[in-house]
Amino acid sequence: MSRDFGTYPLWLRCWHWGNAALFLAQLVTGLSMHYAAPGQPQVSFRAALLVHNTVGILLTLLYAWYLFGNVRYGNGRFYRFAPGDLTRGLLLQARYYLLGIFLGEPHPFPHNADRKFNPMQKMSYLVVMFLLFPPLIVSGWALFFPARLPDYVFGVTGVAICALAHTYLGFFLSLFMVVHMYLGTTGDTVGELFRLMLVGEPRSHGATRPTPPTGPAPA
Amino acid sequence: MPQFRAYALALASALVLLGTTTLAQTVEPGQPCMGCHKPRDTMIDPDRYARSVHASLDCTACHADGFGKFPHEAKRADAPDCMTCHAGVATPPYDFVHIEQGVQQSVHAKMAGGEFRCTNCHSPHYFVPATRMTDAPAAVRIANEPCLHCHAEGDTTGGGRPSVTKLAKQHQWLPHWELHLSGAPCIACHTAREQRAGATNAALEAQRTAHVVLPKEQALRDCAGCHSKNSVLMTKLYDYLAWQERAERGWLNAVLFNNAYLVGATRNWWLDWATMALTAMTVLGVAIHGAGRWLAARSRRKS
Repeated sequence: MSRDFGTYPLWLRCWHWGNAALFLAQLVTGLSMHYAAPGQPQVSFRAALLVHNTVGILLTLLYAWYLFGNVRYGNGRFYRFAPGDLTRGLLLQARYYLLGIFLGEPHPFPHNADRKFNPMQKMSYLVVMFLLFPPLIVSGWALFFPARLPDYVFGVTGVAICALAHTYLGFFLSLFMVVHMYLGTTGDTVGELFRLMLVGEPRSHGATRPTPPTGPAPA
Repeated sequence: MPQFRAYALALASALVLLGTTTLAQTVEPGQPCMGCHKPRDTMIDPDRYARSVHASLDCTACHADGFGKFPHEAKRADAPDCMTCHAGVATPPYDFVHIEQGVQQSVHAKMAGGEFRCTNCHSPHYFVPATRMTDAPAAVRIANEPCLHCHAEGDTTGGGRPSVTKLAKQHQWLPHWELHLSGAPCIACHTAREQRAGATNAALEAQRTAHVVLPKEQALRDCAGCHSKNSVLMTKLYDYLAWQERAERGWLNAVLFNNAYLVGATRNWWLDWATMALTAMTVLGVAIHGAGRWLAARSRRKS
């Protein structure tokens, strides 16, 4: 049965937790710089900048690893929408989170070896990993070379555009992380999905899951 | 020989013509001095002078005694000090009483004693007050020119002069040090930051501190001094524009935003509040959802 949950192989789990830890470091150091003030009890601006830059490079490498893994090990297939996912599927999943979950109803899209994500997960992960994360990385790298950015774009400095994009992309991804962590508690037990992402297999080998994971498998 | 005479005659005629032209320029009404001083690039740049705060003054307002005829009886150094006119003047937005106090406390005045004059830093012919500066890079360039003139032996950080190399070496601890050197006013880090106890007018006190040039060991090394909501840049150079634009657009340090971007200093009240509100709503939302799940599960267990 554990092979049914081979959808969480080691490379993916390492990427996931590495990404989570590094993103958290970026969130703390990014906030420290945005709200910097002399003498405030937070990470010093200089230390925050050093960590933020270093971790930014590591996050880029991890993202490359994530892209490679998705292609090399076939994880990418789980993001493909099935027929009806974008219409009835999204509605069913939304209804489950708004009502069914309180009534103890079964998950509308049970997890199995062929279907790792529910339609809402597919949608949100695609947006996060392929629409928001790449420009976050690109804008971060652009800020490594501020002197090379255009002086003005539509009347605003190139640095300002990059910095604002970087800041608010990071903000929306941080909001995603909050919701993502919460939905991680929506397995059969509060800790089940976290354990699954840590060790790669459910608690009881060979047991059939009557209600597969409902929360967002984080990748 | 006749050929030599013809050349000599032509040369003499040319000299007479040149002298007449020069004389005509000298007696040009309203601008007698510029007739001689304007064409020479070592003298006064008429365009920059026209934009300066003193453009409306006649040259003789400052160069009064001994400059009336040529050759001048007085020397340039005999021109009166700025404080001859400005001493005791406390007309908003400038208060020369505070400014003079600041200069007297600066490392420059302490090192040079009574020899240090306003004109060592501020060219009376080209000085543009901060209230007329609408563009941050231009303001920085103008503000840094006098510093670089001595410390980099030129008005910019380009050119690879030994003094520039030394200056660069001293600033290389800064991230993107080239940008800091070319894009930040020297006085932001190299002048006093603390207001005097009991000072009631922050704007006037800022004029004093901006003139208290510190020894290099006491320069600001805390990045958050500039990269923060109450950036020292706002009190050192852009105070007038900054306060005006803060009120109008909701952007903190808007004058920087228009022309540059500083992490920590360029912020918008509305965006900051919106992000905090969205974060609070998200956390509250998942907390309510989680509490609802817990209560529903407990209810199901009981039934």
